[in-house]
Amino acid sequence: MSIALERSAPAPGAVPPGAGAGRQVWRRVRRRPSALAAAAVLALLVLLALAAPLLSHLTGQDPGAYHDDLVDSARGGVPLGSFGGISADHWLGVEPGTGRDLFTRLLYGARISLLVALGAVAVQTAVGVGVGLAAALGGRFAGRLIGLATDVMIALPMLVIGIALTAVVPPDFPRPLLLILLIGLFDWGGTARMVRAQTLALRGLDFVDAARLSGNGTLRIACRELLPSLAAPVITIAAIKVPTAMVAEASLSFLGVGVKPPTPSWGQMLSSAQTWFRADPAYVLLPAGLLFVTVLAFTVLGDAVRTALDPREGSRLRVGTGKESKA
Amino acid sequence: MPSQSHISRRVAAAAVSLVLAGGAAACGPKDGADGAGAAGGKPGAAGAPQKGGTLTVLNSEPQNDFDPARLYTSGGGNVPSLVFRTLTTRNREEGAAGTKVVPDLATDTGRPNADATEWTYTLKDGLKYEDGSPITTADIKYGIERSFAAELSGGAPYLRDWLVGGESYEGPYKDGGKGLDSILVPDPKTIVFKLRKPEGEFPFVATQTQFAPVPKAKDTGAKYEEHPVSSGPYKVVKNENDGEHLTLERNEHWDEKTDEERKAYPDKIDVRSGLDSAVINQRLTTSAGPDSAAITTDTNLGPAELAQIGDNKELAGRVGTGHFGYVNYIAFNPKVAPFDNPKVRQAVSHAINRTSVVNAAGGSALAEPATTFLPEREAFGFTPYDHFPAGRTGDPAKAKELLKEAGFPDGLTVTLTHSTAQNRQTSPEVATAVQQALAAAGITVKLEGLENNAFNERRWDAKNTPGFFLSRWGADWPSGGPFLAPIFDGRQIVTGGSNYNHAQLDDPAVNAEIDEIAKLTDLAAAGKRWGALDKKIGEQALTVPLFHPVYKRLVGKDVKNVVISDWTGVLDISQVAVK
Repeated sequence: MSIALERSAPAPGAVPPGAGAGRQVWRRVRRRPSALAAAAVLALLVLLALAAPLLSHLTGQDPGAYHDDLVDSARGGVPLGSFGGISADHWLGVEPGTGRDLFTRLLYGARISLLVALGAVAVQTAVGVGVGLAAALGGRFAGRLIGLATDVMIALPMLVIGIALTAVVPPDFPRPLLLILLIGLFDWGGTARMVRAQTLALRGLDFVDAARLSGNGTLRIACRELLPSLAAPVITIAAIKVPTAMVAEASLSFLGVGVKPPTPSWGQMLSSAQTWFRADPAYVLLPAGLLFVTVLAFTVLGDAVRTALDPREGSRLRVGTGKESKA
Repeated sequence: MPSQSHISRRVAAAAVSLVLAGGAAACGPKDGADGAGAAGGKPGAAGAPQKGGTLTVLNSEPQNDFDPARLYTSGGGNVPSLVFRTLTTRNREEGAAGTKVVPDLATDTGRPNADATEWTYTLKDGLKYEDGSPITTADIKYGIERSFAAELSGGAPYLRDWLVGGESYEGPYKDGGKGLDSILVPDPKTIVFKLRKPEGEFPFVATQTQFAPVPKAKDTGAKYEEHPVSSGPYKVVKNENDGEHLTLERNEHWDEKTDEERKAYPDKIDVRSGLDSAVINQRLTTSAGPDSAAITTDTNLGPAELAQIGDNKELAGRVGTGHFGYVNYIAFNPKVAPFDNPKVRQAVSHAINRTSVVNAAGGSALAEPATTFLPEREAFGFTPYDHFPAGRTGDPAKAKELLKEAGFPDGLTVTLTHSTAQNRQTSPEVATAVQQALAAAGITVKLEGLENNAFNERRWDAKNTPGFFLSRWGADWPSGGPFLAPIFDGRQIVTGGSNYNHAQLDDPAVNAEIDEIAKLTDLAAAGKRWGALDKKIGEQALTVPLFHPVYKRLVGKDVKNVVISDWTGVLDISQVAVK
């Protein structure tokens, strides 16, 4: 969505504000089996990540414990046994070279990957909405300046700056927080542009004019009138951004600037697994597969939310095709 | 003072993927000494080597600055030694015999005066450049003088340190034709070097490319690297993108009767670089088309590639195994608490689990557990010792006991500094293995991972050296001297530049012994004393030796006569045949 959109008319049939909209969206999302499946997968993942200490206690495995006896040292440290050393103790096999348990490492890795992705998206959304509102409601000059700053932020290469930044921040600074801030404070440009365009469109609508005429200030209008109307598109863009943030975490960890060892994250596991794809495919496929499934689930869910909020979908509902209008 | 940065660059290229394919060692006890390779004792194709064909070299690092003044080599290098002959060179023989210095352009390895401060060499007869003109000692003197020029930097620092007047000489472009007085050329066949102090190992340094002749009339300064004049069996016919693609063809004026070391079987050598190490190993594995006559001079097999070779006898038979003089170790800076306490350093030594560390470095086929600083080869003066035995997997009980004596009955927390480079040497894998082993002894290790350049700056900065970090060292030639002097000689502590004496040890007894050994020209006797000195210094627990790497490299299907010496640890390109 570009700045050129700022003068476009308000989208006809945009989902009206209020709690009713949320329920309506959920109803529409619920009727898409793919979206439901995605939501179920994500719920399961979050549950597994939360239960990581419990599950690792259950299997009796510590994600950091070395098992030198489970790898073939003379062959580069490839796990002994088939499928990456799967056994009753090690449900998904062990890591080449160290013999660390892959099941528990994946669980703990999920905690980092999900925490960083969700945290970063929360930061992105907060910054993006604030900046977007300010750009739309501030003066003409302020709007231009903020627009320019947004463009600059979008153009900045996050990975390069991330590498530089991790070299200068104090070593004791918690890495997951650093990753959240890094990804969050870099990738808010899209959200800001979208919020600005939407706000400019909403600003001309009657209910905003009415609020202004009754003497409300800009801040109050932004909070009371505009924000509820912006909720739908903001939720959509946030849902779409989660997979992007996950991939960013994986990329940073892949480049060695993510969480510190021995803390596992999926990206870091992928990074150390990259050379093993022929010799021990299981080691690569597990984190890669999980990352793929999670990113796909977030994307499907995000898309479902977007479709449910799509004004065209809304108008179709109103016009009614019989089946849809009963909804 | 070997520039370790360069060594690490050279070795790191290999180490990036530490690929050694397992060959005999990899297959280990299960297959016995096995594979096709073992049949003739050598990896590669069977049959007598013959002249002819094109040898392809697949490398990751380009042959940058292909000028004898600028190359930093051990024993003259691999590809460079095809073009540049030097006064002496390394013996091109398998294993331990390959650690000897032998004559190259000179008739012997040098004649020292009584206290080894003056070395005299005489050239062989019939030596010619690629244009047929004769090689003279004046050209060797000129070649060395060029290496002092600021615009031709890059070589080893020994000549500047050792030659009388070397520290202030600025090269032939700025001396008004005076030259360096400490190199005498009484006649075109004789050359004499005058040194500031006794250097019994001067013949080793005379193997470096700075000792190659450069005809003054053909010197084009910084552009000389585009077409250096060959004295060896091959000449450069094409050099693209600063050594990225080098084409070498026979030098018709090279006479094999004057050169006992280089076999020069192929007619043409095509050196291609800039390739990813995984690509190089994949191409050598497949060995299709021209790659069947291919080798690499800078890429080892890594653990995953080794695992993949597994039981494949055909592949295992094409893997060469070698040992380069190198040590990976934990360095302590005793100026930083709690490492000022010898008991803490000893506790760490006892707690180390070398099985985990070796696995982190790529497994037992790629790394040998080390308890000595010197590599386990006779040439280095290896003398076994294990002052603080940790067994195969560490002795946490003994470590706890020492910590208690040191005043840390409840354990302690320390920071281990390492790099984030994926080299399996100073990298997170090794650091994590150390962390895990020390946890069992009640030592909580916090990891401080630095980007590789920042890491090197930090560990070489005498004022800011971390207390506890991963380090590594490789020697410029196979002897105990270049191993122990830079690391433990108190006069080598550098505060403004790169300091390798991490512990900042300045022990008059150690310094004096280093000087005494340097006077010896009997290298076997010197070796024994280096070994004894290593053992003695080891008692102070200033380092925890972790492992000595093993190099494994693949060759193409048609490659014959693979010779791997203990000097370089890798195959010698001058011996390889493709017919």
